[in-house]
Formats: sequence, C-alpha cells, structure tokens
Amino acid sequence: MSKRWGRVIASIIVIALLAGFAVSGVACAEEKVIKIGTLFPLTGPVALAGQRCKAAVEAAVEVINNSYPDIPVPLADQEGILDGYKIVLIHADHQGKPDVGKSEAERLFDQEGVFAIIGSYNSAVTKPASMVAERRKRIFMCGASSSAELTKRGTRYFFRIAPTDETESIEFVNFIKWLNETEGTNYKTFGVIYENTEFGKHAAQEAKKAIEEAGFEYVADVAFNPGATNLNSEVQMLKGKNPDVVFGACLGADYILWIKTMKQLSWLPKVSLNYCSGYQDPLIAQQLGGDGDYFMGTTGYSPELAELMPAVAPVEEIYKSKIDPPVPFDSDSIQEAVAMLVLAQAIEKVGSLDTEKIVDALYANEWDSPLSLGGKVAFAPGGQNIKAMSTITQLIGGEYRRVFPEEFANAEPVVPMPSWDQRK
Amino acid sequence: MWYGVLLLIAVLPLIPGPLQSPFAQHVLVLTLLFACMSQAWNILGGYCGQVSFGHSVFFGIGAYGAGMAVVTYGLTPWPGAIIGALLAAIVSLIISYPCFRLKGHYFAIATFAIVEIFNRLFMVWYWVGGALGLDYPIIEEGWKNFMWFQTKTQYYYGAFGLFILIFSFVRWMEANKLGYYLKAVRDGQEAAEALGVNSTAVKLTAIAISAFLAALCGAFFVQYNLRVDPPMVMSLDMSMRFVLITILGGLGTFWGPLLGAAILIPLQEYSRAMWGGLGGGVDLIIFGILIVLIVTRQPKGVMGFINLLTTRFKATKGGDD
Amino acid sequence: MAIFLQVVLDGLLNGMLYALITVGLSLIWGVMDVINFAHGEFLMVAMYVTYWLGFLMNVDPLISWIASAAFVFILSVIVYKLVISPLIGKPPLSALLATFGLSMLIKNICLNRFSPNFKLLSDTYLGGRVIPMGDLILPLPQLVIAIVSLIVITCIYRFMTRSRTGWAIQATAMDRDAAELMGIDTSKIYALVFGIGGACVGIAGGLLPMYMPVHPEAGSLFSLIAFVCVALGGFGSIVGSLLAAILVGLVEALVGFYVAPIFKYVAVFGLYLIVILIRPKGLFGW
Repeated sequence: MSKRWGRVIASIIVIALLAGFAVSGVACAEEKVIKIGTLFPLTGPVALAGQRCKAAVEAAVEVINNSYPDIPVPLADQEGILDGYKIVLIHADHQGKPDVGKSEAERLFDQEGVFAIIGSYNSAVTKPASMVAERRKRIFMCGASSSAELTKRGTRYFFRIAPTDETESIEFVNFIKWLNETEGTNYKTFGVIYENTEFGKHAAQEAKKAIEEAGFEYVADVAFNPGATNLNSEVQMLKGKNPDVVFGACLGADYILWIKTMKQLSWLPKVSLNYCSGYQDPLIAQQLGGDGDYFMGTTGYSPELAELMPAVAPVEEIYKSKIDPPVPFDSDSIQEAVAMLVLAQAIEKVGSLDTEKIVDALYANEWDSPLSLGGKVAFAPGGQNIKAMSTITQLIGGEYRRVFPEEFANAEPVVPMPSWDQRK
Repeated sequence: MWYGVLLLIAVLPLIPGPLQSPFAQHVLVLTLLFACMSQAWNILGGYCGQVSFGHSVFFGIGAYGAGMAVVTYGLTPWPGAIIGALLAAIVSLIISYPCFRLKGHYFAIATFAIVEIFNRLFMVWYWVGGALGLDYPIIEEGWKNFMWFQTKTQYYYGAFGLFILIFSFVRWMEANKLGYYLKAVRDGQEAAEALGVNSTAVKLTAIAISAFLAALCGAFFVQYNLRVDPPMVMSLDMSMRFVLITILGGLGTFWGPLLGAAILIPLQEYSRAMWGGLGGGVDLIIFGILIVLIVTRQPKGVMGFINLLTTRFKATKGGDD
Repeated sequence: MAIFLQVVLDGLLNGMLYALITVGLSLIWGVMDVINFAHGEFLMVAMYVTYWLGFLMNVDPLISWIASAAFVFILSVIVYKLVISPLIGKPPLSALLATFGLSMLIKNICLNRFSPNFKLLSDTYLGGRVIPMGDLILPLPQLVIAIVSLIVITCIYRFMTRSRTGWAIQATAMDRDAAELMGIDTSKIYALVFGIGGACVGIAGGLLPMYMPVHPEAGSLFSLIAFVCVALGGFGSIVGSLLAAILVGLVEALVGFYVAPIFKYVAVFGLYLIVILIRPKGLFGW
C-alpha cells in the first residue's frame, strides 16, 4: 500500500515540476521596439570582461535610443532608429560554458524573439552560439572574440569587429622587425606564455606561425593552467630559455601573478607583448603600479588614444555610469559597443527589419565608426572587419603610450625593458 | 506506474500550451538526459555504494567518440558513440580495478584525481583537438547524423530512447541477481563475501555498465551541443551534477535520478533565464541557497521525503481502523 | 645546480602554503567525516577580508591575517550551526552536497557584492621583497607564510596531543557515541573543530594577498590541491597532511620545470594515485 502511494506522489511531483516550471517568457507588449540579445559571461572565471562588455552595449543603446546632438556618433542625434523604434536589450549569461552559451542563444532567438545577438567574448562560446544564429539565418555580431578561425568558417550571418589573434601576431612580429631595423636591436629568440584554453592555445598557435614565418627562433612554449596557484615553474622555464621577446596571453589574475613572479625571480625579457588580456585592464595597470611598466600589448582603445578618437569621451561617460566601479573603456568592451552601433546603422540604412537585406548592406558598405581606431568598419566575406586596427602601446607610469605603427605613435618605445633593480 | 511514467514522458512534448515553447522543450531534453546520466551513475554510486566523482571521464569519452567520428573522420556519430561507450567501459575497468581496493573517501578522492588528470591530458592532446575542442561542421540534419537545428522534438525522443534503455535496465537489474549482489556489496562487503558474492567482480560489472551508459549519454550531449572541449564534459563540475541530482532525488532508488533531474535542471535553467541576465550571479546564489535548504531539511533526498509522507499516511490510516 | 635548488626552494615554500590550507580540511575530515567543499571559498573570503582591511584602513596583511582568521572562524561556526549540524549522523554525502551549494552561494555573493574585478593590494610591507642568497632568491612573502604555516601546524599538533580538549576531539573522532557517554559535548567539539579548520584556512587567506590578486574564483584550485593533500597524507593525520602538502609542492615545481608546466597538476594527481595504490590509506592513514 505505502509503495503504491509513494509512486503516485512521485509521479504527481514529476508532472507538477515538468509542467509547472514551463513558464513562458512574457511577451513584450510595446509596439515600436527592436529586441537585441546580449550573451556574455556575467559569472564564472571571466565575469569581469563579460560585465564590462554588457555595460558597453548598454551605453551604445543609450546613445542610439536617446537624442544626444552633441555626440559625434552616427544615430546619436536622433531618437531611436527607423523613425522612433527603440532598441531593447535582453541580457543572458553563458558563464563561460559553450553548452550554456548555445542553449541561451537558442532561448534568446526562440523564446525572447530577439532580432540579433551581440556576444560572446569567449571564442569557445562564440563558436557554437554563432552557429545557432547561422542555422536560423539571424545576425550574430561579435565584438571581441579573437580566434581567427571564427571568420574562416564561411558563415554569412556572423560579423566580428575586433582584429584577430592572427593579425595581432603578425603585427607583433612586424613591430620587432621594425625595432631591429630602426633601434639597432637584434632580437631573434621568442617565447610565448599562455593559458591552456581555447583563447590562449589559439593565440599561441598563431604566434608560432607568425614568428617562424618571419624567420625568428621560437624557443619557449610555456602553457599553464588558468587560475594558477603559482607560476614559479613557468617563469623559471622562461628564465632558463631566456628569450629576447615574450608574447603573453594571460588573463587578469594570472597576468598579475606572472608579473609578480618575474619580479621575485628577477628576470625580464627585453620586450614583452601581450594579447588582449590583463595588460589592457586599466584597474590592473593601476594596482600593479610601477611593476606593470614597460610591458607592451595591442590596444584597440585606451584613454590615451582619445585624442585620435574624440567621439569616445562622451560615450565613455555613459558607459562609466553603467559599471561599478567606473572604469574607462578597454579594447574589448569598446568593440561590443561598435558592434551594436554598426548593426543599428545597418538597420537604419536598410529601413526595415529584413535580415537578408541588412546582411547584404553590412557586407556592401563601409560604416562610419568613430569609436573604432581608424574610424571605419567594413566586412569581408566570412564576417571579419577588414578595417580593424590596433596599435601597440607601452604602459609607462599608468599611461598607455602608443609606439607602433608610426602613423599613430606618440612616443618612442623604451627597449629593452629596464630590469627590476634599475626601477625605483 | 512505470508504464504510466513512460506514457507521460512520451506525450509530454505533444501537450499544447507552455510546453510547446522551444525553451521548455530544451529544458525537457536536458532533464531527461541528466535523469539518464544520473541513473547511470546511480548503478555504481547508489546501488553499489561506490561514490565516484569520475563519471564525467566516461561521459567525456563517449562525447569525444561521437565528436571525433563526425568532426575528425566525417562519419555519422553512431559508430563513434558505440566505440566511445565500449572504450569508456574498458577505461573504467582499467582505472577502477586498483581503485576498488580503496575505502570510502579514499576512493572518492581517487576518482576525483582521475577526472583532473583526464581533463588536463585531453587539454593538450592534439589528436582529440586539445584545448581548441571540436566544432561540428554544418551537415545534413536527421536521424542519420543525429542532429536537428530547428526543433527539439527529435532530440527529446532520442533522449527518451536513452531513458527507456537505461531505466529499463535498472528496473530489470533491481529484480535480478545482479541488483541483490550490488546491494549486498553496498551494505557490507565482508558480509557479502561471506555469502559467496565475489565483491570485486560485482563492482567491476557495475562500473563497466555504468561507464558504458554514461558514455552513451555523453555522445547525446555532444550531438545536442555540436561542440566538445574538455572543460565542457570532463570536469569535476559535470561529475558533481550527476552526484547532486541523484542524492537530491534519493540515492540508490529507482525514481531518485528522475525526480532529482526534474527538480534541479528546470530550476537551473529557469533561474538562469530569469535572473542570469542581471549579472552578479543572482541565479546561482538562489540555486546555492536552495541546494543547502533542501539538503539540510531532507538529507535523504526527495524519495526520503516521499517515504516519510507515505509512512505518516499509513500511520493515520492505521489509527482510523 | 642553482636552478635545481631554486626550483626545490619554490616547491618547498608553496608546499608549506598548501599545508596550511590542508591542515584545516584534514582536521574537519578526520574528526567529523565531513567533506567541506566550501573550503576554497573560505580561503577566498579570508583574502577579501585582508584586502578590504588593507584597502580601506591601510592595515598590512602581516597584521590583518589575525582578523581574517577570526572572521573565518566565526563564519565556520555559523556555517556549522546552520548547515552542518543538522547533517551529522546522516548519510555522509549530504554534507558534501550542502557544502557544494554553500560554495556556490559564497562565490556568487562575493561576485555580486565585490564585482569580479581582480583586486590586488599594491603597497604591502613585504610585497615583492626578496632575500638574495648568492644564486638563490628567497621571496619574503612566501617565506613568512611558510614560517606561519609551520608554527600553526605545530600549535595544532600540540593542542591535539597535549590538551584535554585535544584529547576530547580525538576521542570524538574515534567513536562519537562513546565520547558522548564519557561526558564530552560532541556538538561543541564539532563546532570547535569546524571553527579551527576554518581559522587555519583563514590565516592562509589572510596572508596570501601579499602577492596574490583577490577575486571570486581565487580559491578554486587551492581547494582541489588541498583535497588531494588530505587524502595523500591520510585523513585526520596532521603530520601526514604537512608532509603530503610539501611533497605535492615539490612534485609540482619539479615536474613544472623539468617536464612542462602544463603537466604539473597531472603529476600531482598522478602522484596521489600511485601512493594510494601502495598505501591505500595514504602516507600516514590510520
């Protein structure tokens, strides 16, 4: 008797839970609204970057939806787009996990009915999430994922704003060649230190390719587990091989630990170049103080680049109001804002919400983008922004000085980096 | 009861109303998949009493089997899934034979170490894609390739097939010699040995079956997500989910895994859908609080709670007589 | 040779840090048979306490670790009362499950309240200081942690073997019911053990911000390593966990340097598997 009752109650609970939880999303009743989804890692190991990217998209939407006649950004002077349509953002969190990213992308399209998605920071998540969009023939705008493979998949609905790790690697190598020619240095040996994840591994592969193609020596390949408790053996290894130039692909906490460990073991390469990573984070630069000085890296935006991009400052004010503690844009987050603005411009130009026409327009035109270095955005087949540019900067005294390419430069690079005992 | 539940699950996605939305169907698919996976874990962890945190390894081997068949060799996932499952069973035998000498927590930590070792080796193993993972190309959808892009109904019935396979097996096992042997080993290895049960053989059988079924679930998981990389499948996080679901539902009970999955998976998915976008991990905070609350209030899982209710009901009824 | 010594030294110092984190876990595990999955989160909370004391009130970690330890002690006792005590005597897995939920809770509350920013104390007294000894470099923050770790572990060892409370704890660990019959308030003993376990990891967390950045995920890998150290040393054995942690630190450093950094944790976990095959109850298990 008791067993049967147990089963009856069990089955009732199963039914209640399976059915009861199926609350469907509330449909948006408002008329003139375009829903755009964002998909970033708001929790988990890279939550910091994700939350900044989310705030950047919010800032861009604020500019589009409201009238800011004095901000020199397309669509800022008018309210909304398509004669009064407002953009509404629907945020989702993928926690840095590809499976969650895919199911959240599906939910955004199918359940929330978003027109397009902007995301997803982690390349490993962007891959499956953008395939969801591709299969549904919807637009997926990607700001900052750096894996070059993303735009080599022959997709039609996927657009990426940021430069890839491939172009960054080539730029790094060109920079070293330029140094060897103009500064009379003779840097030949290279090492790469990277976290063993999709991001780090891919960057390291591209780096190796670029280094070997240029005829330099690739002497140290140091992969480490992200979230490390110490990086002593990693730095010892670099110290042992003693490469002239080290490329780094270390995110936040690992970047700090890497620099602190190099200081303790009193070793430095002559030049250190970093992919989009801890190097660009203005808060980390501030906290590291003098220890972070003389490192270099690619930068798509930093406050010191503002003189090249006057439109950024007012948008940045809005962005700062959306994030706590207020920080300036960094190279990753600003790309997400650009992604939002370019998409809105394309919608406005086509004059309707016809995805196919918007995609055609995105490929066919060159877009004004005052928030991008170089001021233009244009897409090649596959979706890569061929106008993407970044500069190589060097951090000195908390300031990102532009050192390369020459047309953007405002300072001479300090090479080799002064060793630890020569600093204050 | 069993046939009733089967029928219910079979018609569930056909019921008009809120269950028709794609997201609800996604939740249903995941619920069924994790119920299967937890049941596979339950064979070893619940019935046989060997708490393993290592099942994500078997899950991962199955996932890589299907993934490599499609991505690396351009085949259909079916042979990959079968080979992956067999491989998982073999790997499980190799690693568990020495580990079964360990008692209690030592065994648990050993399985835990195995997950970390496999995770990190797969991260650097070039042949299986390493840290970059395997991404599915766009190929024809349908049962042949076991992938669909527009609807989830077929995935649901795929998961239902797994459900029938795994749950029927456990049902059969419960009523047969194997089930009694497993429980005997759980309740006291020495006593079981004294009764003539070869406890090592029983445990090895249990883990081989458990690993085989777990790998099939892994193959389904990769077909569902169309991507696989080591942290997605071979992580402590994944292993914990199987353990959590089973304990929440009721360790070593037939319905426990289904109940646990039916509570935990919708909770996880809907709380993320509702609050995940706020940032700041509100959904995970709530999730954490709920786990703590449920466990401290009802440490024997939902099945324990139901048993309690039924005993009380019986007691009051007895008083009336 | 100099490099070899340096690698060994780094491994040794890291091992001492692991020992300090491990000993608390080992104590809880040995006495209460509870797997505390939130151990790494206790570490992270302690790091935040030190960070905020340093950031807001300019207290150096050399002093504020006391506050961190006290804070985590209190936190642990509260956690014991609310979460663990209802589960004593219940299936051992339920405590694991509850602490797993707890770890998720603590991690995300910190994410929510303190943002995911990496926080680093820039001007600590010892931060970045080293003692050069010929070719060798002795980093001061790690050295201080190692010394504190030795002192704390010695104190706990003496406390467990010499004091009446220590005897009561050991008695409770061996047989709870018998201890209860002897007039020992086992519930109080458990609360105390959980608190001491928390305080140990609190001390480690209080000192770590001298060179480690603080963020909500900071404790994850530490707790993984601590689990292995506990089992390697043998549950409940204080000397065992100290030696196991040092061994883990050494293996990690040597493999990291002489094989490849990416394999260092493979080696650590592999080491555990090999040891456990020879001694199924760990190095010092009873």
